[in-house]
Amino acid sequence: MKNKRSSALKKTAPLLLLAAPGLLYFLINSYIPMFGVFIAFKDVNYAKGIFGSDWVGFDNFQFLFKTTDAWIMTRNTLLYNLAFIVIGTICSIFIAILMAELLRKLYSKLYLSGLVLPNLISMVVLSMLVFAFLNADSGFINKSILGPLGLPEINWYSEAKYWPYLLVFIQMWKTAGYGSIVYFASIAGIDKSIYEAAKIDGAGKLRQIRTITLPLLKPTVIVLGLMSLGRIFNSDFGLFYQVPLNAGALYSTTQTIDTYVYRALMQLNDIGMSAAAGLYQSLVGFVLVLVVNAIVKRVNSENALF
Amino acid sequence: MNKKKGITALLMSVALAGSLLTGCSSSNSNSASNGDDSAKVEEIVFAMPSFNRIPDDLSKVTDAINAITVDKIGVKVDYRIYGPADYAQKVNLALQSGEKMDVFTTLGQFSNYVSKNQVAPLDELIAEHGKEMTAILEKDFGPDLLKATTINGEIYGIPVNKGMALPINFIYNADMLNSAGLSSADIESVDDLSAVFEAVKSAHADVVPFGPINVNPSDTNLVNLLKGTYKVDFLTDSSGVGVVVGDDGKVVNFYETDIFKDGVRMMRDWYNKGYLQKDAATTTITSMEMLSSGREFSYLGGYSGMEIGKSISAQTGRTIEAKRIAPFYFDTSAVNSVSWMVSSTSKAPEAAVKFLNLLYTDEKLINTILYGVEGEDYVKVDEHHVKFPDGKDANTVSYTAMFSTGIVGSESLQYQFEGISWSDIELKLRENKETERSPYFGFIFDQNAVKTQMSAVTNVVNQYLPGLVTGTLDPEAIIPKFVKALNDAGAADIIKSKQEQLDQWLATQGN
Repeated sequence: MKNKRSSALKKTAPLLLLAAPGLLYFLINSYIPMFGVFIAFKDVNYAKGIFGSDWVGFDNFQFLFKTTDAWIMTRNTLLYNLAFIVIGTICSIFIAILMAELLRKLYSKLYLSGLVLPNLISMVVLSMLVFAFLNADSGFINKSILGPLGLPEINWYSEAKYWPYLLVFIQMWKTAGYGSIVYFASIAGIDKSIYEAAKIDGAGKLRQIRTITLPLLKPTVIVLGLMSLGRIFNSDFGLFYQVPLNAGALYSTTQTIDTYVYRALMQLNDIGMSAAAGLYQSLVGFVLVLVVNAIVKRVNSENALF
Repeated sequence: MNKKKGITALLMSVALAGSLLTGCSSSNSNSASNGDDSAKVEEIVFAMPSFNRIPDDLSKVTDAINAITVDKIGVKVDYRIYGPADYAQKVNLALQSGEKMDVFTTLGQFSNYVSKNQVAPLDELIAEHGKEMTAILEKDFGPDLLKATTINGEIYGIPVNKGMALPINFIYNADMLNSAGLSSADIESVDDLSAVFEAVKSAHADVVPFGPINVNPSDTNLVNLLKGTYKVDFLTDSSGVGVVVGDDGKVVNFYETDIFKDGVRMMRDWYNKGYLQKDAATTTITSMEMLSSGREFSYLGGYSGMEIGKSISAQTGRTIEAKRIAPFYFDTSAVNSVSWMVSSTSKAPEAAVKFLNLLYTDEKLINTILYGVEGEDYVKVDEHHVKFPDGKDANTVSYTAMFSTGIVGSESLQYQFEGISWSDIELKLRENKETERSPYFGFIFDQNAVKTQMSAVTNVVNQYLPGLVTGTLDPEAIIPKFVKALNDAGAADIIKSKQEQLDQWLATQGN
């Protein structure tokens, strides 16, 4: 018994050692801070310290639900994230398939780097790029496209109705290339002999994609989809705050939970309330992952995440 | 099974190591303040915001500061300096994590610090160790200055002692005004501006006649203009939902008053006539930049003294003049927005107050903090004026915090930069005493009871106000929506809570 244990440890020791940095990272960055969730239920008073502060139950959560904005920001957060997940997955797979076909050719590496590049641009810089296009007085779209075509100029930063499309487009431009890398890797991992067999059976390129590539990508899509679902109540602050230039007139389509919390608490500076918002977002995301995973498991247990 | 145990053991050891490490760091930071021995020098942390380049090496200035403080009050200062963008964050982080932080300033949120008990009451300590400070505050501002930082009868902070009246000035490009055939005599009040803009616009078709002073969010200073002109007291929260107009003691929603509506209509009129940029509500270019590049004619700004035209001219390279068009009105937040405070967790509050006392009264200390070491970072020109050593400027001296003159100490003891007339400082101090004070000066609103509503209301204000004050939104259609959104967000609760607190406060003022 004793021998068995020590030999098992010997076997796993290198693996444990490999996992150690990752575990340590999670422990320090995710698990130890989790201890702080109780702050969400406290009225923080610095003289008493966080442990001595009074419990206030769910008071800190009220500000998230009490306003008419609650519905708008929840709707925006959910719909944008759904759109990003669905459209993002489609775009990324599309790019990955194109790249996989290109790989044998000379410049594929160049293309790949080019596609990843937008992801490295900071949102603040990106917001200025967007501004150069949409600026009312000297923007490219107003002056060089709408003007010469004889169409009326649009005041982009005060018309909320265009922003759902703009934001989805910007997000795709920025992240689709980067997102395709994982799919590209999965496609590269598909056994080439399957394609050869299909070719012999007379399947064309499109047929191969439809019946081989896409079904084999399904597990990757589900894993990545589940992981993004976990963050469905979170949003990219830069995209929703910086890119619309914090324009009040656009709040109805650009307000998300994160920007709301930021704007609401900037003045109050109340860590209890911000902790409450964070807890709420994480909890909903967690529940969503569990539910969707359970559904996936029921439909096809092999594809479930856990 | 075995594997699981292994992992658990690993996790445990990591957790242990982690707690050991944190244990170390906290004992380290404590050991510095363990000097209970009265003969020993006490140590405090002093955090200062600087609007200049943050120097790489503070040791020389810290030594110079300590040479003064150790000698005079037996306090050793750990001097920290942060840029304005991360100052509040650094200080808050230190306070939240329990790191040592003794003396710090608010950049605008005085009552928040008090309501969360982050700062210590200072009454007794000031009476004992701050007599000189109280005297100079009284001399430069008046006996009521500390009322602005008194909550429930306790003083929690010391407002910076400077020219605090900021009347609204019309800042304009004098060359453009002259070439449009007008002169400064044609500008007397805000009613004259429309005609001025029209003339400038027809003389310079490609120039924007009027711009917002701040961007992101855009602010044309309309609200401050109305505050000064119509004596509106915002009662210490900047949301504007509960204000008192004049002295009737009735708390109302500023955005429902005719004052606000008329002001916004004027802006809308200017906007429709093309006096503002089309994207004034969302532009990212400040008026200062527009003025420098010669693309803008004017903006409204709140400035103390009479020299502002000169200094903006120097910054922009244009001939800029300033004309006062509205008076200033002292409400509490006008005075306490920059206040020095002592942390409630400070181990050495006495030393901190002794240091504050010097910070307001010791000419040498104040100017060391502002300009650095004499002879190296600055040289004296005469009694009141300094300049950089030959061949040096603000970017090449090893230390300067000269843009922080409005943040630290007493302006009457600060050296001025060469070229600024000393009589302007005297004027500012005189205006401190002469400017009209709101009858509610000293009232501080405690937002704690309505913080849910405050957060919701703040959001609504951010959504609508920039568009309204720049004229980009149509007031007739939008103000009703705005007011409705405010009411949905709980404006009535805030007004009610404020009215109650104000009535209580007024009752205590009677004695």
